[in-house]
Amino acid sequence: MKKMVIVLTLVMLIAGLVLALSYSAFQPRIAANQAQALQESLAALFQGSGKLTFTKIPIDQPIIYVGKTADGKTIGYAVRVSGSGYGGEIQMLVGVSTDLKKISGMQVVENVETPGLGGRITEDWFRKQFEGLNPDKQIDYVKNVKPDPAKNQIEAITGSTISTRAVTTALSKTLQQALPAILKADGASGNSK
Amino acid sequence: MAGTSIVSEFTKGFGRENPTFVQVLGMCPTLAVTTSVANGLGMGLATLFVLFFSVLITVIIKKIVPDGVRMAVYTVVIATFVTIADMFLRAYVPPISKALGPYVPLIVVNCIILGRIEAFATRNTAGRSLVDALGMGAGFTASLIILGAIREILGSGKLLGFQLLGSGFHPLLVMVLPAGAFLTLGLLMAIFNAVKDRDSFVVVEGR
Repeated sequence: MKKMVIVLTLVMLIAGLVLALSYSAFQPRIAANQAQALQESLAALFQGSGKLTFTKIPIDQPIIYVGKTADGKTIGYAVRVSGSGYGGEIQMLVGVSTDLKKISGMQVVENVETPGLGGRITEDWFRKQFEGLNPDKQIDYVKNVKPDPAKNQIEAITGSTISTRAVTTALSKTLQQALPAILKADGASGNSK
Repeated sequence: MAGTSIVSEFTKGFGRENPTFVQVLGMCPTLAVTTSVANGLGMGLATLFVLFFSVLITVIIKKIVPDGVRMAVYTVVIATFVTIADMFLRAYVPPISKALGPYVPLIVVNCIILGRIEAFATRNTAGRSLVDALGMGAGFTASLIILGAIREILGSGKLLGFQLLGSGFHPLLVMVLPAGAFLTLGLLMAIFNAVKDRDSFVVVEGR
């Protein structure tokens, strides 16, 4: 009995020590990877704008970044969006123009949707549809007809209404929360500090 | 088993005791991550790493581990190496880590590992146990690669990311879905075992 307790305790202690050491060894690199992935996603939202730096607005929800060029000019805002898709959580980044009147881009950061069906939300044609839409209005999807951007419509992915709907609902909902937050935090339109 | 050559201890993981097609162990990751060769290879190598080092620790400590805490001790050893493997992938190969997702931590419950420890490593010499671990791990990896190759080519027209089949080929989407995994695995298992047992088939004269 005593031997069981001693051996078990020893094994646990050694395992714990090994894991703690491994963690300190790997964690800097893991954190750097995550930071880089985020930077790449943010930059992809505002392509062609040169080198940008992103700073997080100091609020808890939603997570919003202010994008500024090298000379301090605000190029736009990036909002982190999370939604419940068909297969699991869909994580996105949506870009909003400085005057808060247009969506400048949409990136899917993570998804577990069905490849070839819901997974097509990552495709260029689907994401491009969001560019130019009004972030202040509900985004709707249509099927089998041509979408009307003036009515904030996009075309759904054939056979993947659930994934499409998850994207549009999550985007609309989070943007509705994000816009007032941006106004409050950053003083809004045409910020050129 | 006395009399089995060292080479045979290694090759049995590929042939007569193949973990996937003969022992039918580790089915969960096998079905889930073989959507491409790269994913299958990543999972196979991660499992091989965990299997080898878990067996290594096992042969070192097996004499001092009391029977009553055997399972707990070996599970902790396995879990430690799985965590290390997971952290390594996230640090140095993030795309593979992302593709394999939750299945890397799930290597802990892959029956192959505890299976080899219980059935072999605790009852055989250190040398044989390590060779057994290498053979099983390599055999598992080979099985995943074969499965991954079939599903990737038929399901997306690509192999290792390179477009193999031309634009005239319409990918069979089912191959990258669970149904395709089961179908491919079942067919491969049938073929594998038919070839393996070909000498033991008895032809019965019909009337």
